[in-house]
Amino acid sequence: MQQNKPPTPVRLYHVEPTSPRKNRVDDFLTAFAAILRHSNYRFLLDLYARTSTKCGRCAVACQVYQASGDPRDVPCYRTNLLLDIYRRHFTPTGWLQSRFSGSRPLTEETIDEMAELFYRCTACRRCKIECPLGIDHGLMARLGRYILSEIGIAPKGLVVSVREQLEGKTGNTSAIPLVALIDNLEFLAEEIEEDKGVAVQFPVDQQNAEYIFFPAVSDYLMEADTLMGNAAVLHAANISWTIGSQYFDGINYGLFFNDWILERIIKKMIAEARRLNAEKILVGECGHAARTAKQFISTFGGKDAPPVVSVLEVTAQAIQQGKIQLDPDAIQERVTYHDPCNIARSGWLVKQPRQILRSFIKNFVEMQPNGTANYCCGGGGGLAALDETHDFRMQVVGKTKAEQVRATGADIIATPCANCKKQLREIADYYKLPVQVVGVHDLVFRAIKL
Amino acid sequence: MTPTPTWLEIARGPLFRFALVVVVVGLARLVFLAVWGMVAALRHAGDRNLPYAQVFKDTLVWLFPIHRLHHARPAYSYASFIFHVGIILGMLFLQNHLDLLRSTVGVSWPALPRSLLDIFTLATITTGFYLLLHRLYIRSARVLSKAMDYILLLLLLNIFVSGYIAGRPWNPIPYDGLMLFHTINGLVLIILIPFTKIAHCVLFPLVRLASEIAWHLTPHGGADVVRTLYGTEGRKI
Repeated sequence: MQQNKPPTPVRLYHVEPTSPRKNRVDDFLTAFAAILRHSNYRFLLDLYARTSTKCGRCAVACQVYQASGDPRDVPCYRTNLLLDIYRRHFTPTGWLQSRFSGSRPLTEETIDEMAELFYRCTACRRCKIECPLGIDHGLMARLGRYILSEIGIAPKGLVVSVREQLEGKTGNTSAIPLVALIDNLEFLAEEIEEDKGVAVQFPVDQQNAEYIFFPAVSDYLMEADTLMGNAAVLHAANISWTIGSQYFDGINYGLFFNDWILERIIKKMIAEARRLNAEKILVGECGHAARTAKQFISTFGGKDAPPVVSVLEVTAQAIQQGKIQLDPDAIQERVTYHDPCNIARSGWLVKQPRQILRSFIKNFVEMQPNGTANYCCGGGGGLAALDETHDFRMQVVGKTKAEQVRATGADIIATPCANCKKQLREIADYYKLPVQVVGVHDLVFRAIKL
Repeated sequence: MTPTPTWLEIARGPLFRFALVVVVVGLARLVFLAVWGMVAALRHAGDRNLPYAQVFKDTLVWLFPIHRLHHARPAYSYASFIFHVGIILGMLFLQNHLDLLRSTVGVSWPALPRSLLDIFTLATITTGFYLLLHRLYIRSARVLSKAMDYILLLLLLNIFVSGYIAGRPWNPIPYDGLMLFHTINGLVLIILIPFTKIAHCVLFPLVRLASEIAWHLTPHGGADVVRTLYGTEGRKI
């Protein structure tokens, strides 16, 4: 018989207070059943449950486990928390097998353990590289988070942001009113003119543009140089583009914890692209925004879904075609590049940022390892957006990245991701690393000749 | 009058035929279910484009992982690789095993030299004990391990050790008794294959592709979940 104990508070992140649930175990299993019924996860859980050999090789690839030494941080351990519940409660032979293999039944304690462990994973998916079978522990952590979110266990910081984005007045995660956005765009245009002596527009609501632009909306407040770099490239390459006034946020925290939210945000992007009859969707410097758009616009947009292009691809191509000129003397410092997991792990955007940076930076140095095998900054999976995770991000998951950065001796880290930039700046501060953290287009802006 | 068959003859005869049926039907069922699941998932997915070439390449790399072994936990990885190779060769290329297979189902293939298989058998036993100790004494491996993980490993070691000793001229144990022990252990293992993690021996090539397919979400899936849990009114975020 299940005990109705009060839930243990999650230590890593804040959760919004909700009406107390009589039986979280039943609620969890009900949510799990609903997700299995309406999604594509069941066949995968079946396959993982039948094949997971628990060799533990993933432990070596996981920077969380490497830093914490806590065996509960081994990716396979987390995955098997969920697989055990699946076997035990959702397979016909599960109960019988559990007698022999020791599969645990779901308890309140297991729910608390999952609530903690699935968010200690940054979903960087580096462990998948070293799994001989190819089990995607990042996907399993995400599925665990999804089930938990349907019983009210999700980080408050992420929930509040997507609530504003999908149900709030401003319709974006940073709660920027449209009037403020327009003011900001005018300010950015003035800044470019002052710096480069050329009038560069930030077009809004232009019909039939080649690209509709979705950066991480926080860039409008915090990463002016990145946006000015984006606009300068698009201007110099004579590319038609627009920002949509009805929806202008590339951020999609649904990727981190909930399919329903993920799909709703993607559909807002598609609706805005269709409203303005834009040919393609252009995603700014944001790892998870770029990945969600690239991966899910075609999933939720039907056969005529607009193609998705990263601003890194556009700039790399413009350089290759000689459409933009970059001053090779503009950057004298030693520069390194951090690969955001969401765009690099699949191999999608590994060459392009390097083509851009190497085209005008003389003193470029790689982190080791890099590209598809990079280490996460430590803020992945939504953690960077949760201030209460600071100590964990610094002391545990960001430790490897700090060592990597220090080894490069770089003065500047360029990275095309809002979350990575936030995390890396905090790492630089915490570990006293004399390094500046900027976007790739911040450097492009410093070097571009208009 | 027909002589009464010995226990060893029963094990090598009807029990072996039974074990073969269980493993073949069981594994065929698992492969069918996995492929069916993947096809159904793709049918429901909003986007069916998959990086087939990359998945195929990655699967091949791990099927012959020589170039990957030194990347992480080299000692463990090399031991695990040798252990797997030894099991496959010992099970499928020993003349005695092939004779048994031919007499049962009429199928066979060339065997490997006994001396070579002896080397692999010793390597399998050595690495098997290493893997067992690794599970017992390395904390990150111990926390992952359950009873069945140890049972399967010990069962495999039983089979290899008894098989090796039975074939030695210095074998101190009566041959028939030891061979019966070896055969019964082998039959139990064969029967367990479709019901335990050893099923990865045939499901391995499908896992990587399945992981890719699972990222191809079902349109409206999330909304359907909310409707199921909260009714047509849905819920606020």
